[in-house]
Amino acid sequence: MRIKKLLVLGSLIILVLTFSLAFTKGALGYYPLPLPGVRTLAYWYLITTLNPRYPSFTAMSPEAVTAIVWDYRGLDTLFETAVFFLAVVGALALARGISLKKALDNANSKDNSKGLSLICKTATRLLTPLIIAVSASIALHGHLTPGGGFQGGSAAAVAPLLILVIFSVYFLLSKGVAEKPMLVLRTAGLIGIYLTALTAVLIGLITGLNAYVFQNQPKLDAPVGIPAQVSNALISGTLFFFNLSEYLAVASGFTLVFMLLSIPEEIVRRFISGEAHE
Amino acid sequence: MNELNVFLFNTLLFSLFFNAGISLYGIFARPSLIKKIIALTIFSDTANVLAIVVGYRMWPSPEQSPIPPVITTTNPTTEDITWFASQAVDPLPQALVLTAIVIGLAVALFLVFLTLQVYRLYGTTDVRKVAKLRG
Repeated sequence: MRIKKLLVLGSLIILVLTFSLAFTKGALGYYPLPLPGVRTLAYWYLITTLNPRYPSFTAMSPEAVTAIVWDYRGLDTLFETAVFFLAVVGALALARGISLKKALDNANSKDNSKGLSLICKTATRLLTPLIIAVSASIALHGHLTPGGGFQGGSAAAVAPLLILVIFSVYFLLSKGVAEKPMLVLRTAGLIGIYLTALTAVLIGLITGLNAYVFQNQPKLDAPVGIPAQVSNALISGTLFFFNLSEYLAVASGFTLVFMLLSIPEEIVRRFISGEAHE
Repeated sequence: MNELNVFLFNTLLFSLFFNAGISLYGIFARPSLIKKIIALTIFSDTANVLAIVVGYRMWPSPEQSPIPPVITTTNPTTEDITWFASQAVDPLPQALVLTAIVIGLAVALFLVFLTLQVYRLYGTTDVRKVAKLRG
């Protein structure tokens, strides 16, 4: 046992020292301080992110991070969304057989004595609409200002989390925020992402022109593109719709897992021991 | 001044890897599943900070710090874009980190739920006891 512990400690010390030495001696591509410029790839992203002079390279978004997330490296983000989806599906599979609806039927949902004090409840009532509004602003302006679907969705999931802690899971259920609507919203978000990724291909199929999956602006050999401006407002082609769909998917996915985590302990024990199945 | 900057930058890199080493020790050696999850989140945050450090650039001048990679006008001229590209930091690590944070949160939630179910079924989160269980 002692030898095993020493082995773990020794290998970790060697790892830390080797990595530190390598990175301070220039493993990042510079030595000893960061360069005044950026790498060639980053320079290319910065030059083309909103540049009408290169119509077949630009993403038409002033925000270079969102342009990379949903245009230049869009396929990466699609697979990261798949990982997020699978994590939520895993949590749902672990909770199979535990029904929130049955838990609601058994409990007295009109019981207002549950939850924290009146001050907390009033403050939450005032804060929740503000949180939703700020998160929607983060998500829908994601192609113009720092932000996007991931950040906005995470911020929106704070609102149901607050309600879960300050009121109770029954309060949230009585307001219509249950498993089924959240599942539907999350699936709608995912369908939105896939449809937006395929829009250019669908237009290309109808018009007979060349088009690619995840295409945003027109390219040299693929003249199909999503308009960057709608009635003089910059929407950056597909980026706005990607952000909107991702916002729905992330917000409802997190809400779903938070609700599963907050089912009262005695109800879960009843389901696990099999009493609630009969 | 330059030597001080080099010292501070190297200290930053060393402390990041030291943090990663401590969190890896937590993942390997602590028997409690909850403590493993806490160490895992610290490890992923350390990796995110390292990615942001990779995208850093030196200050263009002593008075002017690098700017975020966001163009502040919707109709930029060529001079605007050239100035922007000479001042902004690398946007690629930021794009990777922003998705990594949300995915990390989802995976952490899944692991917390898994641990909760393990505790409900077996009454312990100690991996040594969970490994000895039969059936």
